[in-house]
Amino acid sequence: MSEGTVKATFDIYRFEPGVDSAPRYDRYVLDLPPHTPVLTALLKIRAEVDPSLSVRYSCRSAICGSCAMQINSKSRLACEAAIGPELARDGRIVIEPMRNQPVLRDLVVDQESFWRNYGKIQPHLILDPRHPMPEGRENPMTPAEVDRFKETPRCIACAACYSACPAVEADPEFPGPMALAKLYRFVVDPRDQGHQDRLVRIQTEGLWLCLRCHLCTEACPKDVRPSERIRDLKEMAIAAQGATEHGSKHAVGFKDNIRDRGLLNEMKLARQTMGVVGTVGQLPQGLKIWRKKPEILRAPHVIEGQEQVEKIYEALDDHKTPEDLP
Amino acid sequence: MKLAYYPGCVAQESGKELDMATRWVAKALGIELVGFPSFSCCGSGFMDEANEVLNVALNARNLSIAEKAGLDILTICSTCQGMLTLANVRLGDAKVKARVDGALRPLGIEYKGTTKVKHLLQVLTEDIGLDAIRAKVTRPLDGLKVGAFYGCHLLRPADEMGWESPEEPHAFEDLLSVLGASPVYYRGRVMCCGFPIQFVKPSTASKIAGNQILDAKAHGAEAMATPCPLCHISLDAYQNKAEQAVGKPLDMPVLHLPQVVGLAFGATPDELGLPRHLISTAAVTARLRARA
Repeated sequence: MSEGTVKATFDIYRFEPGVDSAPRYDRYVLDLPPHTPVLTALLKIRAEVDPSLSVRYSCRSAICGSCAMQINSKSRLACEAAIGPELARDGRIVIEPMRNQPVLRDLVVDQESFWRNYGKIQPHLILDPRHPMPEGRENPMTPAEVDRFKETPRCIACAACYSACPAVEADPEFPGPMALAKLYRFVVDPRDQGHQDRLVRIQTEGLWLCLRCHLCTEACPKDVRPSERIRDLKEMAIAAQGATEHGSKHAVGFKDNIRDRGLLNEMKLARQTMGVVGTVGQLPQGLKIWRKKPEILRAPHVIEGQEQVEKIYEALDDHKTPEDLP
Repeated sequence: MKLAYYPGCVAQESGKELDMATRWVAKALGIELVGFPSFSCCGSGFMDEANEVLNVALNARNLSIAEKAGLDILTICSTCQGMLTLANVRLGDAKVKARVDGALRPLGIEYKGTTKVKHLLQVLTEDIGLDAIRAKVTRPLDGLKVGAFYGCHLLRPADEMGWESPEEPHAFEDLLSVLGASPVYYRGRVMCCGFPIQFVKPSTASKIAGNQILDAKAHGAEAMATPCPLCHISLDAYQNKAEQAVGKPLDMPVLHLPQVVGLAFGATPDELGLPRHLISTAAVTARLRARA
């Protein structure tokens, strides 16, 4: 080992569907300076050890979003992640393709579903022909209008969030964090004339499947914070249309539920979210739980100072202003 | 040590066993739990989807109650921990603070912003410390392979929660080791339990829960343990649904954090409310008895 380098062990996922019967992990050991980006190491392996290793990349500068992959189980851009901190954990780096997308070969995945979901949110300005943009000039925005975009314009569509998302993993109806963060970006764009339609449509197209686990926000290399913008979208969708879906009924029902007693009334919330019929459908499971936990049928006590809670609702819920929205 | 005890809604009702176990462990460690019957619900990550400012105001009220008593808050739920901490963060926004103060001031409530919010896992591993915990272990957990399951809001967003690595935390595993268990490291330990959409789309919620339990099982876990009663609902009370969703038998006992500690400190299953679980914990307790 030469001076200033560390012995880096890479266990790299290898698989070519239709050729290999099962995925395997190939081990490569290199002496490298600890600041070496993982992508540089992969390209060195491909150039000097194994030319058959497939990896997708382009700019090597964390701008193009091509080289997202799993590094020690975390979604990262390979060009940005240095090997040193990753080796510090257990002396090796496990490199795997992104999750939630089928592998084409080794570290290269098929991004078809990711881009299809992106397309579904209509990622372009919707203009009303009756209100044309001013001719002969660009469309200026005020600094306050620009601030409403928050971090969303930073997105480079690398799909790290899509790979990290447990809702994407479990349900193909969920469009994924990136698509929803992009949707937010168009909803708050003062030039866009489709806000209302966008908010109404997304209520039935997966918005309420977001778990708010914030895994996307941690995975994002550009700090776009998709989970927080999805929360904003939910509040805006309710303001635009009211509670029409199970998800929005649950959010509004929960809010209203706390007003009465200050604590959650679990049974009442079931009715508020799913209605009487839906609640009846839950009865068999409810009975199973009730046998062990009879409190589920009981309304909680009323907290001391409930009248303060009531007054806070009067000030901020009954008199919610448009300025209270994101 | 004296803390303002914020049990949260679930531990006061269907998750009563979590409250029982917390009180048992607190007593064993000499932690004084001061109850406040005026604490309200934290909003649970649902209320703020409908009205964020309102949710922050309710939690500012909660935080002010502890501030007035000069105490830090102890939570026993990852979600309560997340929502109360988030209120402290959001109040840093002048616009939000002005709206909240405007609603609280007429009620004679002032929140200066000094209340620290700590989850039981943090108090045990940081304030009490692992050495003091080790000293109280009378019945080590016999190398039982336990998969910690953190619950999202205790960890993320990490820059707002200001605690452990959101993707590679270790406090829970460190604690399990001190109790004599063998912690199991698996990807699912920092994933979501599916609970937030249990009422929105139960089939997807159960699949998510099942995915994490399967992952723990694949890595050898004989039991799981969680610091969040909402995760406990998803992983225990709805485990039969998770089983159907993933199409594989799970049969995974799931313990609340203070139950694991209580078992190692010699508490009986009844004292910790173990009979209240939907999935039997007999495999865990039988193993400890065999050793004793």
